[in-house]
Amino acid sequence: MKKSEKNAFTLVEILVVCAVVSVFLASAITLFSNFRQGFTRSESSAILLQDAALFLAQLRNDLNNAVLDTSLTNSEIEQQFSVTPKQLNFKAYDNREGAVLPVIYRLSGKEGNASLWRKIGNRAEKELIKSNVASLTWQTEIESFSGKASGTVRLCLNINCILQTQRAQEKPFEIRTRIFPARLNRQLNNK
Amino acid sequence: MNSTNRKSGLSLIEIMLSLAIFAIILLPVFMTFSSGNKNIMITETEFRAHTAALEIMEQIISLPFELIPVGKFSSRQIKSDDPENPSPIPFNVTANSSFQPELEITPVKKNDKVRFKKISVIMKFPAAKTDKRERKIELKTLVANEEI
Repeated sequence: MKKSEKNAFTLVEILVVCAVVSVFLASAITLFSNFRQGFTRSESSAILLQDAALFLAQLRNDLNNAVLDTSLTNSEIEQQFSVTPKQLNFKAYDNREGAVLPVIYRLSGKEGNASLWRKIGNRAEKELIKSNVASLTWQTEIESFSGKASGTVRLCLNINCILQTQRAQEKPFEIRTRIFPARLNRQLNNK
Repeated sequence: MNSTNRKSGLSLIEIMLSLAIFAIILLPVFMTFSSGNKNIMITETEFRAHTAALEIMEQIISLPFELIPVGKFSSRQIKSDDPENPSPIPFNVTANSSFQPELEITPVKKNDKVRFKKISVIMKFPAAKTDKRERKIELKTLVANEEI
């Protein structure tokens, strides 16, 4: 009896050990879940950054190749570069087919989680951004100059894009920029 | 309690030591994590700076050759409608306070005729929100005079 009494843990010892272990575990678990959350957040922002970069690069490339069919009348020319809240239409020279093809950028899906699609010519429509578009506006802006540069115009597309994933745990990615289609502007001023 | 029982337990110093070693091992693991997030932020800033630089570059390329202004333009002249701006064409840039663009356009002459205009855009920006060190990217291009 005396020996076993000496070897066993007392209740106080066990309680202390339990308390220490639970404190340790609790802090470890919170630390782990914090890291997990942080990791998900930075992963989402990386995805949004990639989406935005892909979209802007693609649109910039298309707009740099955008051309006007100058044989048409003025009102028809306006239709060639048409901008509505859900859709962006213009004509661009395509290197692969060596011809001028219609390009369509289209937003679809529900508000706040829309997807962005791009279609050129008769090729299959491709999804550029999958349900991460919180809001995307595009507007044409035409500047006309005075003085020495009178008669010159400069057209640009004003883009304001906000991206967010469906889980919406991360900071939304917002980018505003203007894209100036160089070839199309040359054409406008040479007319 | 007898002395044998006391010896078999771990002393406080031993536990502290092992915890310290454990922390030292874990520290680099945590550091890699935060640096991964930091790298995403740096990439994002670079992407924004690149987009802003392209915006300036493209609006100059869009002008007819003879209207492309020649000279050096400071960040202040590019960002605001400075009345002292020597260029007949106002700049049209999206407002962003953390980027400092600079622009230099030099004519390239041959037989007294301007054949090309060399455009160079330098965009200076802080490396990250918390990191004030200055970084810069530079874009250069040549525009040809199509009338020669």
